[in-house]
Amino acid sequence: MKNVKIKDISSPVEQLAEIKLEELYPLPPPYDKLEEQPGFKTLSREIRAKFEASLDGVMAVGLKKPESEEEEKRLIESFISGLNKLFSKENNWAFLQPLTLSMEYCARCQTCSQDCPIFIGSGENEIYRPTYRAEILRKLYFKYVKKGSKLYNTFQNGGIELNWKLIARLFELSYRCTLCRRCAQSCPIGVDNGLITHELRKMFSMEMGLSPKELHEKGTVQQLEVGSSTGMNSLVVKDNIEFIDEDMSERTGIKVETKWDVEGADVLLIHNSGEILSWPENPGAFALILDAAGIKWTMSSDLVGYDGVNYGLFYDDVQLARIAMKHLDIAKKLKVKKIVMGECGHESKAMGVIADRIFAGAVPRETAMTIMNDIVFSGKLKFEPERNWFPVTLHDPCNLARSMGVIEPQRKVLRYLAPKFREMEPHGNRNYCCGGGSGFAVMSRYNFSDWRIQVASRMKFEQVLNAFSDENPGPETPKYVCAPCSNCKGAFRDLFDFYGAKAKSGLYYSGLVELIVNAMVDVKEGFIDFEMM
Amino acid sequence: MYLLFIFTYLSVLIFLAVVIYKFVKIASSPVHLRWELYPVPHEKGRASYGGSILEEVDWWTKKREKDHLGELKVMVPEILLLKGVWEHNKELWLGSFPFHFALYLFIGNIALLIVGTLFQITGISPFVFGASSNWATFWSIFRIVIDAIIWIASILGILGAIRLLFTRIVNRKLVLYSTASHYFNIILIGTIYLTALLWRIADSGMVTNLMGYYLGLITFSKEIAINLPVQIPKIGYAHVIISLIFIIYLPFTHMTHFFAKYFTYHSVRWEDTPNAPGSKIAERVGEQLNQKVTWAAPHIGADGNRNWIAIASAAPSKEVKK
Repeated sequence: MKNVKIKDISSPVEQLAEIKLEELYPLPPPYDKLEEQPGFKTLSREIRAKFEASLDGVMAVGLKKPESEEEEKRLIESFISGLNKLFSKENNWAFLQPLTLSMEYCARCQTCSQDCPIFIGSGENEIYRPTYRAEILRKLYFKYVKKGSKLYNTFQNGGIELNWKLIARLFELSYRCTLCRRCAQSCPIGVDNGLITHELRKMFSMEMGLSPKELHEKGTVQQLEVGSSTGMNSLVVKDNIEFIDEDMSERTGIKVETKWDVEGADVLLIHNSGEILSWPENPGAFALILDAAGIKWTMSSDLVGYDGVNYGLFYDDVQLARIAMKHLDIAKKLKVKKIVMGECGHESKAMGVIADRIFAGAVPRETAMTIMNDIVFSGKLKFEPERNWFPVTLHDPCNLARSMGVIEPQRKVLRYLAPKFREMEPHGNRNYCCGGGSGFAVMSRYNFSDWRIQVASRMKFEQVLNAFSDENPGPETPKYVCAPCSNCKGAFRDLFDFYGAKAKSGLYYSGLVELIVNAMVDVKEGFIDFEMM
Repeated sequence: MYLLFIFTYLSVLIFLAVVIYKFVKIASSPVHLRWELYPVPHEKGRASYGGSILEEVDWWTKKREKDHLGELKVMVPEILLLKGVWEHNKELWLGSFPFHFALYLFIGNIALLIVGTLFQITGISPFVFGASSNWATFWSIFRIVIDAIIWIASILGILGAIRLLFTRIVNRKLVLYSTASHYFNIILIGTIYLTALLWRIADSGMVTNLMGYYLGLITFSKEIAINLPVQIPKIGYAHVIISLIFIIYLPFTHMTHFFAKYFTYHSVRWEDTPNAPGSKIAERVGEQLNQKVTWAAPHIGADGNRNWIAIASAAPSKEVKK
């Protein structure tokens, strides 16, 4: 459908919008040749017959089509019920004020649009404009929640037809935004389209029970039942960490031993447990650094205590609160002085800021960036920055930079320990999302990863390539993207693999602690080994 | 004239009543979870690069200093010059800035007229009737300033309104998201600017007439209202009546962002107060956590009786697969 309008969201057409490779934001060489780009996988006829894929031909969530008119009617009623609960004090006190402000005061000036990396990356596809889904919810809000005079309401806010097509598309559309909130920064009035998307997802999950499997069943539910969204129970995680300790000790020449369940420790370290499985050198580096700095630290083997992941942040307040309460209870039980959140943006935001009013100051929390900066400049560790001889750039995880204002600690470390550190542009608060935000990094079902990598991560990829434009563009010079966030690393892994960026451009990604360990005098040289990455 | 005064009082009363109602409603919303967005300008020494106190190791042991001047440094250019629109949407700024700035100038002129009238009423100095005194020169200049503002504001406002209307008509991205009210609002406010200019062109005594109108309004004097030596032309009446209609209409529209913006910035974007045991926030959140949950998804496990604490302390209820 060309020239998509707001009202088209309810249209009976088979597919509302189409994504064309040639319309996407152009990438710099050698990634500019369309014929070499993998493109988007088409969903099979069987899949399309069973699931709702009428938004853009991409499926993130796999919403089943209703089997009868009765079911369709019931779902529409459930949607209206959820809409009203979303604006009630009892059910949504947690975000009612910011949401209502964002609903009622938008001037529809579109000032935010040019700041959305997905909208720009898509070649300005209308359905990805940050205001598109927000405006649909706004019209529904004025029609079904605020009510009042129909005539005056239409005059002020325009009309909209609510049907199943709208609901199905809006659900998918709520997973075409990474909640990076870059658009909110540029709104002169203070309207937050990221928040609106967040609230939409919540309503679908908390009222209709609709959410991506990776975030819910395999995410928060598994975490609360088994202990981790990775599926690791406490025995498995201890086993894995033991292996990591041994490997680290061998690679670095320094004995590394993770401590478990130490009562009264100064620090309770909670990693995103994805690190333990996918990037084991990260928890290994943490253990080595904390020991070398003489800090009394521990990890917890309690259910949920060894996994800082909290996907509830992305789609469900109840699941968010359940996981946050577990973290709080464990920290209280161990009587630790503080929680340090590992290199994970959403864990840091969920525990450090969002759940702050639930924690009520009971246990202080801080990010890994601050404690690492403190250790590096404490004089307790000796460094040879030249060991980090390769060019390094820094990716600012949105949750750390935009939602927490943690900008400088990691930069101070890099300026000191990475002689060839350079910023990417824009950076800090104005960074682009990696494309894996809001749970996208773990969502790869159907053809969603094609969209995520080629659209959501597009502007980030351009940024990374530009950051190293003064270097030999080929693979001979390894280029290190420091991404101090587990989900961001997941996005970079998929992005670089998809485009063959390691082979073509020598692009690598890893965290901050790995660079610290690599520069430590007491550590055997070559901890960062590009041939192994 | 008498009826005009009644209509003016009524307009102002409706405006104030609705604005105060909306203001109180927003202000009394539940305490929400933190959702700040950096840069937060009151972060002393860190706002320039968007940092926060969370960058400090053991930040909760550090003295938290707020730079309120930093907030003003952001708010003043944001409100007066629409800095955000300038930085992110220059095409719109070309219309939006003159359109809004003209409104500020008109509001400023109202303030000047009220101050002058108060001087007259209290007998400190003659403003409206301009009797000879030591103040005569001062008030002459004062009147010239008011007159100049009328000229500047009305011309600026008309240009802004034309430009804004043009942008909303030709720019597809704005057309898609504009409702009938967006065009109506621009035309309505534009008409206020236009009638002000036409009044001034037609009436060299516009400032004196305005002063008389304000004197009557502020003294609540029927006698003054009837006997005032004002000769407002028809276009003047049209200007005043359209302005009053706008004042009544405004609180019922999204244009109340002029005060809602205070909340979007101070209560959300820059609201970074950490919770602490025994604090007012802790008390209010505690009350809110006692509210009953009625979300219907199976994993929530709400039965209409369980509150947030009970729900959040429980494991997810077993679900029926969808």
